[in-house]
Amino acid sequence: MNRKEIREIATGLGFLLPNILGFLAFTAVPLVISLVMAFTDWNLEMHNMFKDNTVQFIWFDNFIKLFADPDFIRYLSNTLFMMMGIPFGIAGSLFAAMLLNNDFKGGSKRIWGICLASVVLIISISALMLAGMHATATMMLITAVLGVILLIGCAGGQTVYRTLFYFPHFTAGVSTYILWKKLYSPENGPINNALRKVLDSVSPFLAQMSDTTAHAIANIMLIVAIALIGYSFWRKIKHWLDGDCGSFSLAISLAILSIALILTSCWSRLTVPALAVLAVAFICTLVVLIRGRKYRCVLDYGLSDAVIISGTILVFSLILAGLSNVIWDLPAQATAGLTPPKWHADYNWAKPALMLMGFWGAIGSNNTLLYLAGLSGVSQELYEAADIDGASPWQRFWSITWPQLSNITFFILIMAVIGGLQGGFEMAKAMTNGGPAGATTTLSYYIYIEGFSTGRLGYASAVSWTLFAMVFLVTLFNWKFGNRYTNE
Amino acid sequence: MKKYIFSKTARMLLLNIVLAIVALSMVLPFTWMILASLKTLAEVGEDSWLPRVFQWGNYVEVFNIRGIMFGRWYWNSIFVAAWVTFLQVFTSSLASFSFSRLQWKGRDQVFLMYLGTMMLPGLVMMIPNYQNMIKFGLIDSYPGLILPAAFSAFGTFLMRQFMMNIPASLDEAAEIDGASKWQLYWDIILPLSRPAIVTLTIFTFMGNCNTMFWPLVLMKSKDKFTLPIGILAFDSSQGQQTNLLMAAAAMSVIPMILVFIFMQKHLVKGIMLGGVKG
Repeated sequence: MNRKEIREIATGLGFLLPNILGFLAFTAVPLVISLVMAFTDWNLEMHNMFKDNTVQFIWFDNFIKLFADPDFIRYLSNTLFMMMGIPFGIAGSLFAAMLLNNDFKGGSKRIWGICLASVVLIISISALMLAGMHATATMMLITAVLGVILLIGCAGGQTVYRTLFYFPHFTAGVSTYILWKKLYSPENGPINNALRKVLDSVSPFLAQMSDTTAHAIANIMLIVAIALIGYSFWRKIKHWLDGDCGSFSLAISLAILSIALILTSCWSRLTVPALAVLAVAFICTLVVLIRGRKYRCVLDYGLSDAVIISGTILVFSLILAGLSNVIWDLPAQATAGLTPPKWHADYNWAKPALMLMGFWGAIGSNNTLLYLAGLSGVSQELYEAADIDGASPWQRFWSITWPQLSNITFFILIMAVIGGLQGGFEMAKAMTNGGPAGATTTLSYYIYIEGFSTGRLGYASAVSWTLFAMVFLVTLFNWKFGNRYTNE
Repeated sequence: MKKYIFSKTARMLLLNIVLAIVALSMVLPFTWMILASLKTLAEVGEDSWLPRVFQWGNYVEVFNIRGIMFGRWYWNSIFVAAWVTFLQVFTSSLASFSFSRLQWKGRDQVFLMYLGTMMLPGLVMMIPNYQNMIKFGLIDSYPGLILPAAFSAFGTFLMRQFMMNIPASLDEAAEIDGASKWQLYWDIILPLSRPAIVTLTIFTFMGNCNTMFWPLVLMKSKDKFTLPIGILAFDSSQGQQTNLLMAAAAMSVIPMILVFIFMQKHLVKGIMLGGVKG
């Protein structure tokens, strides 16, 4: 190394110096301390100014205790459960991006839109005045807001809608969580006020419904769920045979779909048919695997498709199963009078309530903007070629848009999984305090409780390093497979 | 040309309506928040969203509740976020200058390591950081709040992405004129990267106004709270006063919405720079 090189390095590091100091003080050193802490029994109840016990190294005892700790297992599964919303959210933001990506500069549509919006606006405002300040005025108000949005949207096009879609994500924080806590409020929140009215008006009709009809509907829903899962099995295998999907992606996809099937069947009464579908699917898969395939591709090709689609199907089938469970004994319940759920105050509803809120925020997030950029990058020639071949919009989506966006989807998915593993703290702190009965305690909230409330610092560090390991696994995954996508 | 079932106008109208309905679902919670903040407490739980008489006084009252130092918290948030933003933009621009405009051995390896730290879960560092703060007596103090947030790998990454696109001929011209590296940074590159600075400023400022974890564990005395934990404290002590709580929430959310509307262009650019890997 000559003198010049040394001087260059010195200059380069000189500019980096403040950042390096900060990095050492607040990242590197704490990281090492935290690793050391994870191997000790540091507990503020035992080691404080009154009891002068020395902190001892207990090596892997924390980690051993961790995996036997029913709380940890439960909070880990809570975190994973909340992460089931991720594919749904990504699908939502893709949908939003595709809506936004349309050509808004159609000639006469603006005039049409403005006319319609003004009519809606005038009618609703006058009705608002006529009705006075009554409950019906709320409906009018909502219509008026819709009218205003339509009006501005027709005038401003994509930018306006993009801005409005982005609000929830941009303002996400304590204030919005508190707002949602009030919206969800079981006794007199607006959501339950509205639901109660709907339920009251519907329940007489539902009470008249015979048990057989209810059971039939419930069964049809389950069959739809199982059919969806079966179709996805088939679709993925077909992709694999056509060389659109690698073996690794196929395995992941089949694993998620099997989980979906097992969960659905556990949660409903149709255990035998579901297991039959699973068995048939596996036999088919085995047969196909043994016979081999014509076209080959790299192992992880089509990975984001595998995870997103299977994940969406998973959530969707669970929703269907849950609905079918509800409908099964709906007539009996309707006779007794239907009550809206207690949302974040109910053990079973707390997680879905938070996921619903997360979905609200996820539709218009950074992901939508990334997808928008991606969509504008898809070559128009591909679409023109598809038009000449007479492709339907559905086919256009599945054979052009979706594969073309796969690298963006992969990036979004990785970021969402990393975020999801660490997430849930703010919602839990602001809305539920991790309750009811620990239903919304995620790993990050658990670390907060252990590290800052109960003071079991060693144990909390062990939990956080376990979390770190999981995040690191996902990151490794990203390094292994992600680079190929970004370099394409 | 493709044939559509509907005419173009009808399609556009349909599209607009679908978009407007989705947008409505985004806006409705905020609408309820503002309307609830204008009600009396007794009216909040009613079916009707509209207040009988608009209680503008609620917004004044928030500042006068006993034990709720709303104005103080607001100021604290702005104060802390301003410091964090200033320090972060400064250190990030220095570091990104080194990563993008200077040639030195091992530069790219160091940068990769830097990127790696973005993946580290912040939670792992929180407990030791807190213990360190106790040791250095920085608990319940503004420096303790500001310093850990003043260095960011994300900011460095964002600025670097931008600085890479400034033509290299400028550096050569400056060198021929005999400018030192510091002059190159201060007089040429920094003024040219103003768009990136604006973007990073908004991101950091808004992000820091919203942080909750670190202030929550660090700040003990009520008059030093920032807005998010202040609102948490408000909710846990006087959460039944929904109308006032909503007024406080509205006052913390609406400025963000306004900033977003006016600064949208910069924000979108920032998300693209930071999100699309380069």
